[in-house]
Amino acid sequence: MVIWQMFVDSFITQGGYKEALKGLAVTLVTAISALIIGIILGTTIAFILLSKSNNPLVKTLKIFFKGYVAFFRGTPIAVQLLFIYFVIFPAIGLGLLKAEIVGIIIFGLNSGAYVSEIMRGGILSVDKGQTEAGRALGLSSVQTMLKIIIPQAVKNVIPTIGNEFVSLLKETSVLSFIGVMDLTKAFREIGGGNYEYTIPYLILALAYLILVYIVTNIVKNIERRMRASDRQ
Amino acid sequence: MIDNNQTFNNEILVKVNNVYKDFGKVKVLKGVSCNIKKGEKVVIIGPSGSGKSTMLRCMNLLETPTYGEIWFEDKLLTPVDPYLHFDIIRQSNTYKQLIVNEKDKNPDLTDEQLDEQVIALIKKDDLLKKREGKEFKLAEKKFYNENYLDVNLTRRKMGMVFQHFNLFNNLNVLDNLTLAPVQLKLKTKEQAEEKAMELLCRIGLEDKAKVYPSTLSGGQKQRIAIIRALAMEPDVMLFDEPTSALDPEMVGEVLALMKELADDGMTMVVVTHEMGFAKEVASRIIFMDEGKIKEENSPQEFFANPKDERLKEFLSKVL
Ligand SMILES: Nc1ncnc2c1ncn2[C@@H]1O[C@H](COP(=O)(O)OP(=O)(O)OP(=O)(O)O)[C@@H](O)[C@H]1O
Ligand SMILES: [Mg+2]
Repeated sequence: MVIWQMFVDSFITQGGYKEALKGLAVTLVTAISALIIGIILGTTIAFILLSKSNNPLVKTLKIFFKGYVAFFRGTPIAVQLLFIYFVIFPAIGLGLLKAEIVGIIIFGLNSGAYVSEIMRGGILSVDKGQTEAGRALGLSSVQTMLKIIIPQAVKNVIPTIGNEFVSLLKETSVLSFIGVMDLTKAFREIGGGNYEYTIPYLILALAYLILVYIVTNIVKNIERRMRASDRQ
Repeated sequence: MIDNNQTFNNEILVKVNNVYKDFGKVKVLKGVSCNIKKGEKVVIIGPSGSGKSTMLRCMNLLETPTYGEIWFEDKLLTPVDPYLHFDIIRQSNTYKQLIVNEKDKNPDLTDEQLDEQVIALIKKDDLLKKREGKEFKLAEKKFYNENYLDVNLTRRKMGMVFQHFNLFNNLNVLDNLTLAPVQLKLKTKEQAEEKAMELLCRIGLEDKAKVYPSTLSGGQKQRIAIIRALAMEPDVMLFDEPTSALDPEMVGEVLALMKELADDGMTMVVVTHEMGFAKEVASRIIFMDEGKIKEENSPQEFFANPKDERLKEFLSKVL
């Protein structure tokens, strides 16, 4: 029971729980903000990549976003954090941005790449007749996308977006690479106080497990409600 | 002097002018031309794969013709096809050079004969594909700018009804009917809803305003798809096999609504296998086969005196 006592010491007596709660907040805020950025960015990217326009701007953007997606999907998130935080941002004058903010931005950019692929699939899974009907009524391709295709695509991809959120939640555990005090880092500190990690890491793992469980259930609920509204 | 100039009879709503359409290597339309006049009910029939849908879809640019032009009223919807406009050909360097060459060869030709011969030569060997000079490009551009109309604006005036209805699955019936008029700022939401309810009452489905398409029968879906197009107050309605996906007992209600539209004077182009409808409603029937219009006639003549061999064969199968 010595290790239990040691944990109580650092977690309660020395106020480690405050760190843990702050870390939890950072983890959640980062994952949620990144998902929101990712959905907006990813949908926009998917829309551009699927566009058949001959506009030179659109063509340039397509090349740019293809490279973008390849980079963020092809390299580990830890490398992206290090590279962008320590190399890119200082080079473009953003070196003084708080690490928490940078973390949100990088996870958002990363998620944008994944969500663009998810949305691309979702958009392609909507029957072509829906687009044709919209265009035949005189709606522009953007109007058709926004009012008809994307709402249906979103419904199709909600389970996959849920998975993306679960991955984000877990992946934020590498935020400490750029010095952000997230949930993982907080428990490393708690254990580090007296070099006893058994219980802190057990609780850390449980915390992630519970978070993921809750998120999974929320997504399932949304799905069920959407399916019900279809049949009204 | 030969010239198929583009002066427009006011009555022509849609002009399909020498349209070719390839899908990759597959040549689906091989030079079709037809005019749809105001108030006409044109029925298009023909064997499967003959290009009926493709021609209809070219009319509102759901498919882009490979060559040829589509006109709506007096507006050009496609890029200019220089081979259809001799004035443009005459501004090309190819033309100018050939005139000189041909004059040397045949000094006794009149200018008009020369013109005719050179244009025929250019068309035959597709000589404008060669890089052409600035003047030619300018002539082409000038013609385009003078006549072109944005296709989205034209489509408002051309209703289209699809084989598979294509009601918007994410919107209820009322929103299906009001989305385009409201989005395109043709009506306020209230006006659009009033019009939509009026149309729903007309087809006896006013109680379905708030339901989603997935709960409707095929016949109901198609009738709503028709009034969705009508809600835009189009000048012409295009139908692509509107009854082919329906259970037999629902075909009647859709055809009845289409007849009603015809009686109201709507200009209609209908691809269908319903020969009864063609006989009763059509003012003209077009027979398509292998990407070409093979025969075109009034319904009486069309059925009583078919001339094309393939049409005779086709009619013997479907009648
Ligand atoms: N998007 C496309 N890509 C490739 N080929 C196509 C496409 N659309 C049509 N085709 C081909 O063009 C040919 C003509 O098609 P179209 O749909 O115009 O025929 P149709 O006369 O309407 O036939 P049906 O009575 O079966 O509807 C067919 O061989 C078809 O496979
Ligand atoms: Mg067809």
